[in-house]
Amino acid sequence: MVMTFWWVTALLLLAAIAVWAITFWNRRAMRKSPVLVANSQYMDRLPSFVRAQRAAKALRIGQVIIAVLGVLGASVLSGRIASERIETPEFSSRDIVLCLDVSGSMYEYDTEILSTFADMVDTFEGERVALSIFNSTSRTSFPLTNDYELIERELREGAEAIDFDEFGYRLGTRDYSDEKVQQYVSFVDGTRGIPDEASIVPDGLASCGMLFDQAEEDRSRSIIFATDNEVNGEPIFSLQEATEGIAARDIDLYTFYPGAYECSASCFDELEEATGTVDGGLYQSSDPEAIPSIINEIQKTQAEVLGATPTVIRTDHPGPMFVVVFLSLVGILVLGWRAR
Amino acid sequence: MATSLLTRVKARVDLHTSSRARGLIQGRGRSLFKGSGEDFDDLKYYQPGDKISDIDWKATARSGEPLIRQFNEERVRHLSIVADTSSAMAATAADGTSKRDAAVMAAGLVCFLAQKNGDLVGMVGGGEDRPIQLPSRSSDGHLELLLRSMQQATTTSAASTDSAWLLERAFRVTSRATLMTIITDEAHPTVEDFSLLRRLTTRHDVMVVRIADADPLLREDPGHDVVDVDAPREVASLARASKRVARDVEAYRRARRDGISQMLDRLHLTHVLTQGESTVVEDMVQMLREREYRHGSG
Repeated sequence: MVMTFWWVTALLLLAAIAVWAITFWNRRAMRKSPVLVANSQYMDRLPSFVRAQRAAKALRIGQVIIAVLGVLGASVLSGRIASERIETPEFSSRDIVLCLDVSGSMYEYDTEILSTFADMVDTFEGERVALSIFNSTSRTSFPLTNDYELIERELREGAEAIDFDEFGYRLGTRDYSDEKVQQYVSFVDGTRGIPDEASIVPDGLASCGMLFDQAEEDRSRSIIFATDNEVNGEPIFSLQEATEGIAARDIDLYTFYPGAYECSASCFDELEEATGTVDGGLYQSSDPEAIPSIINEIQKTQAEVLGATPTVIRTDHPGPMFVVVFLSLVGILVLGWRAR
Repeated sequence: MATSLLTRVKARVDLHTSSRARGLIQGRGRSLFKGSGEDFDDLKYYQPGDKISDIDWKATARSGEPLIRQFNEERVRHLSIVADTSSAMAATAADGTSKRDAAVMAAGLVCFLAQKNGDLVGMVGGGEDRPIQLPSRSSDGHLELLLRSMQQATTTSAASTDSAWLLERAFRVTSRATLMTIITDEAHPTVEDFSLLRRLTTRHDVMVVRIADADPLLREDPGHDVVDVDAPREVASLARASKRVARDVEAYRRARRDGISQMLDRLHLTHVLTQGESTVVEDMVQMLREREYRHGSG
């Protein structure tokens, strides 16, 4: 809540205080010289007189309150109370594909990414989001869409479903309800198309790249890619080929790397090298809690890349103050009529 | 002040009195103030306060009513003015003029009549903290001083009315029998002052001139605020416009006025309630004429 013309409000209030002060200091001078009478003390013992005086006092207090309310309301109204919203219009032409590695080692990070995005859906306006998950094969959870209701529902469900320690469950160290297991299984369904293989990262990335449609339109395209790059099988593409394909379609790649699981440093090196060839960035953190700030970072980088200047959009809210001013005006008229 | 108060009073008396009334004052002026004197003039009914030694026992026996001899006064007579100079007298009279001007005018009329006859006039006034007392003199300068001190003492910052103190003081200070004119307002002397007044009448021939107060609600002039000199409180226009308040105020004032008038009647005092400076001369002349009639043929 801000005031667009706060100085108008300040000026009006100052003027009101000045007028009040002048009349206060000159209240004796402004009054017509009073007529002196005598022997009227008995009036204080007349019930009707006491009542009338009391009523007049109440009326005057009411008038003062209403006048103050009116002046305050009018000055606030002329100050134009408005709510501010910061918007980056260029963002509305963004397409974002969340490309998540759902191998057992990634579940914590995936959960965090999904719920962070679910929280961000409210601020989206025109952006399109898709979710693709992969393990040995890739599954598109939902394609690029701006149906934000669907996006949020899917992301929340996904975040809940993927929060599942598969290794722990298999080793018997973690226990989950059947319902939870069912939820997980149905979420990752279709990502294990090739037996005995896991985390075919380059193929997963390549199929994420295939999700972008409307190739002829001038849109900003980006993939948020979360993986530990621990390939366990025979990919069709190499990581290099996959990133080249992405670069060829002018897609930015924001990679999130949670740190080595079983792989040596070579996995990270490979990832770093591959992603270095495309626009975007590589973020590394072993702390799932860092995800929201990383996504924020990605948003900011993207804003810079797009040259999107955040604009402040103000919406006036004259309603309540208008009602106050209107009511006090009515009150002044009614009381003025009464005191006539 | 350029013109003396006495001169102005004379001008007003000339202006306000009809030729008949003027004749009353000028031609038969002496008879306005009947009192004891050398030459037997008339018999009149005994009234409380008259000297018992004046009772004409033979005439009383004849008529069955106590009668006293009245003499045309040859000696210099003593007049006294008991002036209420409280803050209330600085307020507005019923006719919109100042009560002080009306009071000074009333005193001026007494002085004027005294001056014609060469009578002595003294004055008692002021309040407990600042009493005023002027001895009986007849010079023009003294009469002027008397009127002026009365005028100057009557301010809004003066003490509030204490009629009991004033009457007590008048009794103590004025030892000689006088024709006493008490000048005050419609609310005084209060009914509690009955015994004080009665004691005054044993020694003096008392007349009371009361000046009516302005309407405390000032209904005919709502543009002006109205303030009581002794109780400066604001009277809201709501209260001033209310018919019910007006009715109650009117009823109270009438009851108070009538109560005092009845008390004065019971004391057989000559008294008048006048609206203000514009009517005070006429009302006082009327009062004196009625008094003469009563004393003369009553």
